[in-house]
Parts: sequence; structure tokens; C-alpha cells
Amino acid sequence: APAIAQGALPEIRWRCASSFPRSLDTIFGAGDHVGKRVAALTDGRFQIRVFPAGELVPGLAVADAVQAGTVDCGHTASYYFVGKDPTFAFDATIPFGMNTRQINAWLYAGGGRELLRDFFAGYNIVSIPCGSTGAQMGGWFRKEVKAVQDLQGLKMRIAGIAGNIMQKLGGVPQQIAGGDIYPALEKGTIDAAEWIGPYDDEKLGFQRVAPFYYYPGWWEGGLNLSFYVGKAKWEELPQQYKDVLESACRDATLETMAKYDVQNPQALRRLVASGTQLRAFPREVMQACYRAAFELYEETAARNATFRKVYEPWKAFRDNEYQWFRVAESAFDNFVYFMHAQEQQRR
Amino acid sequence: MISLDLMPPLMFGGLVLFLLFGFPVAFSLSAVGLFFGFLSIELGFFTEAYLGNLPLRVFGILSNELLLAIPFFTLMGAILERCGLAEDLLEGTGQLFGKRPGGLAFAIVLVGAVLGAITGTVAASVIAMGMISLPVMMRYGYDMRIATGVIAASGTIAQLIPPSLVLIVLGDQLGKSVGDMYAGAIGPAAMQILLFLSFIAVVAIFAPHRMPPLPEEARTQRGWPLYAKVLKGMVPSVVLMFLVLGTIFLGLATPTEAGAMGAMGALFLAVVNGRFTYALLREAMGNTMRITAMVIFILIGATVFSLVFQGVDGGIWIEHLLSHLPGGQTGFLVVVNLFVFFLAFFLDFFEIAFIVVPLLAPVAAKLGIDLVWFGVLLCVNLQTSFMHPPFGFALFYLRGVAPKEVLTKDIYWGAVPWVGLQLCMVAIVILWPESVTYWLDRGTGVDPSTVRIEVPLPDLPEDDAPPVFR
Amino acid sequence: MGPLFAFSRGVDRLNAAVGKLADWAVLLACAVSASNALMRYGISYSSNAWLEVQWYLFAAIVMLGTSYTLFRNAHVRVDLVYGALSERGRLWVDVVGIIVFLLPACVLLTWMTWPFFLDSFLRDEGSPNAGGLLRWPVKILMPIGFLLLTLQGLSELIKRFALLRGIRPAGEVVVEYERLEQ
Ligand code: NA
Ligand code: NA
Repeated sequence: APAIAQGALPEIRWRCASSFPRSLDTIFGAGDHVGKRVAALTDGRFQIRVFPAGELVPGLAVADAVQAGTVDCGHTASYYFVGKDPTFAFDATIPFGMNTRQINAWLYAGGGRELLRDFFAGYNIVSIPCGSTGAQMGGWFRKEVKAVQDLQGLKMRIAGIAGNIMQKLGGVPQQIAGGDIYPALEKGTIDAAEWIGPYDDEKLGFQRVAPFYYYPGWWEGGLNLSFYVGKAKWEELPQQYKDVLESACRDATLETMAKYDVQNPQALRRLVASGTQLRAFPREVMQACYRAAFELYEETAARNATFRKVYEPWKAFRDNEYQWFRVAESAFDNFVYFMHAQEQQRR
Repeated sequence: MISLDLMPPLMFGGLVLFLLFGFPVAFSLSAVGLFFGFLSIELGFFTEAYLGNLPLRVFGILSNELLLAIPFFTLMGAILERCGLAEDLLEGTGQLFGKRPGGLAFAIVLVGAVLGAITGTVAASVIAMGMISLPVMMRYGYDMRIATGVIAASGTIAQLIPPSLVLIVLGDQLGKSVGDMYAGAIGPAAMQILLFLSFIAVVAIFAPHRMPPLPEEARTQRGWPLYAKVLKGMVPSVVLMFLVLGTIFLGLATPTEAGAMGAMGALFLAVVNGRFTYALLREAMGNTMRITAMVIFILIGATVFSLVFQGVDGGIWIEHLLSHLPGGQTGFLVVVNLFVFFLAFFLDFFEIAFIVVPLLAPVAAKLGIDLVWFGVLLCVNLQTSFMHPPFGFALFYLRGVAPKEVLTKDIYWGAVPWVGLQLCMVAIVILWPESVTYWLDRGTGVDPSTVRIEVPLPDLPEDDAPPVFR
Repeated sequence: MGPLFAFSRGVDRLNAAVGKLADWAVLLACAVSASNALMRYGISYSSNAWLEVQWYLFAAIVMLGTSYTLFRNAHVRVDLVYGALSERGRLWVDVVGIIVFLLPACVLLTWMTWPFFLDSFLRDEGSPNAGGLLRWPVKILMPIGFLLLTLQGLSELIKRFALLRGIRPAGEVVVEYERLEQ
């Protein structure tokens, strides 16, 4: 019987629009990985060709393209579309949200995907988790941030909800053109800019022009990337292909995280060797941002029912996760990092 | 029945025919795209839905803030030209040259270099240079081909002089930092300017009638009165350009905003010099609007073409062509440069940067080629893509702003020697990699493996604070 | 040809008026951009709304200006062949070009950009950037611009067709392909 079913499976060729350039080899690679796995697992009968940002549509137009069915599928980070509705952010990450493990728990097994399914259906999109960056860095600063006052008038290129939080604390979020960022940061037209983590940031060369490299990127304590499939396309797909695609995406999530966890520490060493100065955001600053963030979410939930419908269960889930992670995970982490640091200092 | 792999070359052939028909470039590009688009739908290469990506692509062009440089610098050029300040600047240089030929041409290359350092966008640079200098050169009896060639060449040099959009995009595609690309471009940019200046010197010596000095009656003054007059004429524009450059260096404005500062500055200068009229402003705005619409519609037409090109697997077709490259650094570089040179007849810079460069970079890296060197080399080579007749974008733009007495033929023939000079630069950069790598940051010399990263110790909770159960 | 000429003149006037708006958008965009830089540098004030106004105005220059640019015959051509043709030959190139090249593309793009705007309008789509602007006002410029361009194409077609038949059209017709710096 399996052989007959195999023979009946159709040849399908899809075009996938990525939001990422080829040079971001890890996250662009997640989409590419899906294409290769899907072809390998279906004997080449199901082919997905992934186009870097701009080849089919601009990177920020992926949701529009999948929604309109002008591409079959896309690979993106959902928070690019918070202008349409802030609820999109839950599919990617929100500031002071959850870490990678917890995001995966919510999406894969904690009811997150089910919660978001109706929301995405309103855009004719089926969203499948596909890739992680882990906790990101806070970006490149020309001057130090020592207290909350230092955020006053700080001109930073930072997008989305994090920009709103910065603004609440007197910062000046600036979405200047992509090609202008390097020269603007170099000459001090802007004071700071954020990107991803050491491995990707190193390629931009911001360490030349802004010496202070801050951590953590509290707005992205873990980022889930998403594989969007047009709803009609998804429904046409034979069940076996659906399963294959889901598996390939899970695969990509593991793959990207593993790659980043190998590449980031090496890149960070190189950055420090080239003169980068690591700085942690002061606790006071983080606390102020944390409070501003949750104020913002409450405000948003009060005025946007769609957001509230996801926010409330998301928050309850997060409470639960935090409680558990504080017990064994964080006790273990804290202890081993503490011991390790002590040994290093003694050496 | 046409097979899929025939479509990309057919599209290129179709493009040549459609463009030569003589209907506006913008609509010819979109027409080729749509023609092959509908053919592909008929042949089943993609469905109608695929063409629905067009609105997204058009919107992508309209929301690209970097393109704002085009109206900004065009307005600056239009105001400077219309209020006579540009003429004062260039004539001033001509005066200093006295009866020696070629003065204007020298000035234009230098002005082009300064403007290029500000704009970084070839369209903006060529248009502004064309507006400022073409009428003056024609008035002083320059050979039409020399005039158009100097302008197109000194406009395209914008992309080699940092801060340049082309270097930023190439750096991004090659995974190299913008700072390295800037540093690597310094040497070739300086050499290129010198090469251009030497070429003008040679022409001035052997064919002085092609670039005559100012006529006798325009050179009545001598000595200090001359210098005073020249200074008075040149200072405002020179100061304006350095102020605009200064706004970038002081961190006052982004390179795009610097264009707006330049336009407002030019307006201010016109008012201060008492040359401002409402009619001047209206004309400058009107011209800028039409040039901007013209240039951006070419990009819109090109986006229709390239969407369909992607749809018929044009990227794969190029990949196949590239898979048979010879080994060895020099062989690879020569073939790649020839390839890009010919491809640039059909594809604009962004297409080459996004489709071809990502395919080349891994091969180059494997051959041990420094990617910054490779990027700068491609940048030098791509200058020719803006310049070579009959389909160079710089030539389209120059055509758009040149008075009608300038024949298209003159623009094409005028470009030829400069394309030759640019190819010489390609050869120099290939044979002498140090011209690029000498300027690169050597780093701190610290070995990453010896680095110790000190992160403050995490807080450990007190042992005597047990968890609470309720 | 009376009603056709009336239509053509009406379109010409409409697009001349819209083109004037695009002219002013040029100056406005410059002023806004320069002020953005000065305010950011001087008093550390800046907002994404004002940064977005810049490219909204840029979109207005292009989409509202293109039909008047067509009227002035100022879209650049490769005129190797075109330049060598007789006036009648050029009129034929234009007539065929408008029918075969321009109108299909413009009709298609008008038709395709409308739902793109409508979706944004119905969802009240905003900017992903803190303090950014609503998106539909810039998205509606696309169907408007392509529609105006379609109308101008028809107007130019009518005028050139009349010329080919030896009738002087009522409105102004720019037959000589215009170079902008005149
Ligand atoms: Na980030
Ligand atoms: Na430049």
C-alpha cells in the first residue's frame, strides 16, 4: 500500500520568498534547509526554492505576498508586521518575553500555535515555527549607557515594539534607511544601532564605529522565525507533504540554534580581540525598560481585543515557565556559571 | 514549444529589440517583462498570481528612502544651474587656466569627485553634474563627445568614492563590513581620478580644439582683479559643497539628508546672491519632479522585467553559466569581469548585486581571493555597466537632462574612451591587489584564542533562603 | 473627434494640476528632510513619523508626477532609431508603443495595486516603527498614479492619432521628445 500511495503523490514546485539576504547565512539558511530537506524526504517530488529578500519581493513584503497568494510560501520573522497588528509579535518574540526554550515550549506544545492559528487565518497564512536566534545582543553604542537618564535623547536605530519602549523612556528610535546606518553611526548622526548577535553583527563591521557592545538584547530574549504557507496552498497539500514540511521546519529550528551557539562565542572572541568593549545594560535601565514594556502591553491589550486574546494566555504560560525555570534550570545555570567564572578568575 | 532554459536568453534578446524600438525605456522594460510574463503563463512556467508580486515590488521602490537622494541632488543641481552659481564656479576655474585648454574638464572631474563623495548614488550624481556643467561646456565650445563623456564618467565615479551606496550593497552581499569596503575603495578611487585627469591632460595637449580655453573676451582681467573675481564666483558653490560634505562628517545629517541640506543651501545661496525668483524655484521644482519620475519609472519598468526573469529561473540560468569558470585566481577574475561586463548590458546594478554576486562570492573565497578586493574590483567593473552604450543607466540619465542639440550618438561615442579608462582600472586592480588591500585595517593583532571575556559573576542566592511552599 | 478631444483636454488639464502638486512635493520633501537632520542634531528631537513623511512625499513625486511627465514627453528613450525617423514615423512609434507597451502595463498595475491599498485601508495598517504613520495614504498613490498614467496614455493616443489623420488636436501635444533642460 505505501508504494501505491507514494506513486500517487503529486509533483509540487513552490517558490518561497525569504525576508533575509543570503549573506545572513544562518537565518536565510533555515529557509534553504527546509527546501533541501523537503526535497530529500520526498524523492524530489516536493520542491521549494527559496529566494533571498528582494529577488521576488522585498523582505518586509513577505506577509503580503503569502496573504495574496503571489508566492506559495515565505520565511520571515513575524514581528516585521506589527504595523498590521501588534499580535504578530507573539509569533516571533516580544521584549522581556520568553527565552528560546520557553518560546518553543509555547509554540510546539503549550497551545501557542493553536492560539495564533485563527489570527493568521485572518491573513490567509499558516505559520510554522522555523528557526531561532537565541537571545540577541543589545547592539552597538557610541557612548555608554550608565543610567536611565542616558537613554534621554539617545538616537537609536531600533524597530518595532522595542522602539516604543525606548521612546517611553525618552529615547529617540530612528528608522533611517538601511544603507545610511553605517555612515550615520560612524559620524554620530545616530548613537546606536542593533542587529542580531556576534556572528551576524561582526560582518557589518559596526565595531569600527561604535566601540560599546551591549547585552542582553532584552527585546529579543529568543526569536522564533516563521515559515508562512498560503492557506489555500496548505490545504491543497497531501497530508504526507504537510508532515514532511512540518518536520523540515522543526529540523531548521534545531539547526539554526545549534549553528548560532557554535558561531556566536567564536565571533564574540574575534570582536573583543579587535577592540570591542562589552557592556551590560545596568540593572536600573533594564528595570525601567521592563516596567515600560508591560505598561505598553497592558495599554495595547486594553485597546486591541485580538492582542488581548493572545496576550493573556501567553502571560499565564510565561508565569508558569518562569516559575519552573527558576527552580532547576536557573539554579543549575547560575551555579555552574558562578563556579566557572571563579575558576577562570583564579587562573 | 519553448523550454524554460531558453527563456532568459530570449528575454535579453527581446529587451534589445524593445528598447531599440524607441518608446520610453521605462515602458519598454515593463513591456518586455509582461510579454514574456504572459508567454510564461501560457507555457505554464508560472501562474497569473505570480505577477501579483508587482505591486509589492513597486511599493518597495517607493518606500526606499535611499532613492530620495535623486530628487534632493537634482534640485540642488537645478537651482545652482538656474541661478548661475554653477556657471560662476566652473567659469572661475576656466579663468584660472587662462589660455591653456581643458580647464573646465579638469574642474568637472574634481567637482564630480566631491559630489560623488556626497551622493553615493550614480543617478543623482550624473543628473546633477549634467545639469550644472553641460550647458557651460557647450557655451564654451567643447566638443560634444568630450563634454558628455567627462560628465558621465565623473558622475559614475560616485560609486567608488565613500560613502557609496554601491559599496554598501556589495559589502552586504559579500558579507564584508562597510568600513572595509570604504577603506579598500580609497586607492582605486584616487587612481581613477588621476587617470581621468591625465586623460584630459593628454587630450588638452594633442587635441586642444576639443576642449578650448575660455574665449579671449571672457578673459579680460589679469592678476589680482582676476583672482578676486574668480574667488567671488567660486567660493559660494565650493563652500556649499564642503558644507554639505561637512554635515555628513559632523554627524549632522545622514548621506541622504545631506542631499536635502544641499538643496536648501543652494536655495539660500540664490536668495543671498539676489538671484532668487519665484519662476526659478518653480522651474527647478518642475524639472526635478520630471527627472525623478523618469528615473524611478525606469526602476519600476526594470522591476517588472526582473520579476519575470526570476520567474523563468533566470538566476539558475546564470548559475549554470558560472559553473564552468576556469580555476586559478587571475583566470577566474578575468572571466568573471568579462561576464559581469556583458551581463551589465542587460541587468542593472541591483540585479547583478543580488543575483550574481552571491553566486560568485563563495567561489572567490575558495580560490583564496580577498573578498574586499573582489568587491572593490566588481565596483570598478560595474562603473562600466553604467557607462557602456547603448544601455548604460548613466547614459539614459544624461540623455534625460541633455539639451536636444546633444545627439544620442554623441553621448554614446563620448562614453567610449572613458569605458576604456575604466577597463584599464579593472586591469590595474586585478594585477595589483595591494591597491585595495594596502588600505585595509590590519586589526589589533590580538589572537582571538587568547582573549578572556570577563563577565560579572552571577548572583548566587543565599543557601539559608529555602523555597516557600504554600 | 469632438468628444475625444474634450476628453483629452480634460485629462491634460487634470494631470497638469496633479503634476503641480508633485512639483511642490519636491520642495516639501527637501524641507522636511533638512529639518529632520537639523532637529535631530540640534535638540535631539526626531520622530519616525517625520522620517516617513519624507518617503511618502517621494512616492507622491513619482506617482503623481509621472503622468505629467508623459504629457511633456519627458520619459527617456533609446532614440538611436527613433531620432532618425520622420515626424510621422515617430508618431507611429508612439501610437503603437502606447497601445502595446504603455496601456496594458498601466491598466494591469492600476488593477493590481487597488486591492493592495484596500487591504491596508480596511485593516488600518500602521507602521512597524514607533510613532510611524498609517500606510494607506501612501499605498493609494499607486492605483491613483497608474490610473492617471492610463488616462494620459489615452489622451496622448487620441492626439497622435488625430495628427496622423491630419487633424490638429485641440490640446497641446508635445511631439518632439522633450529633453528636460530647456
Ligand atoms: Na535584534
Ligand atoms: Na560616493
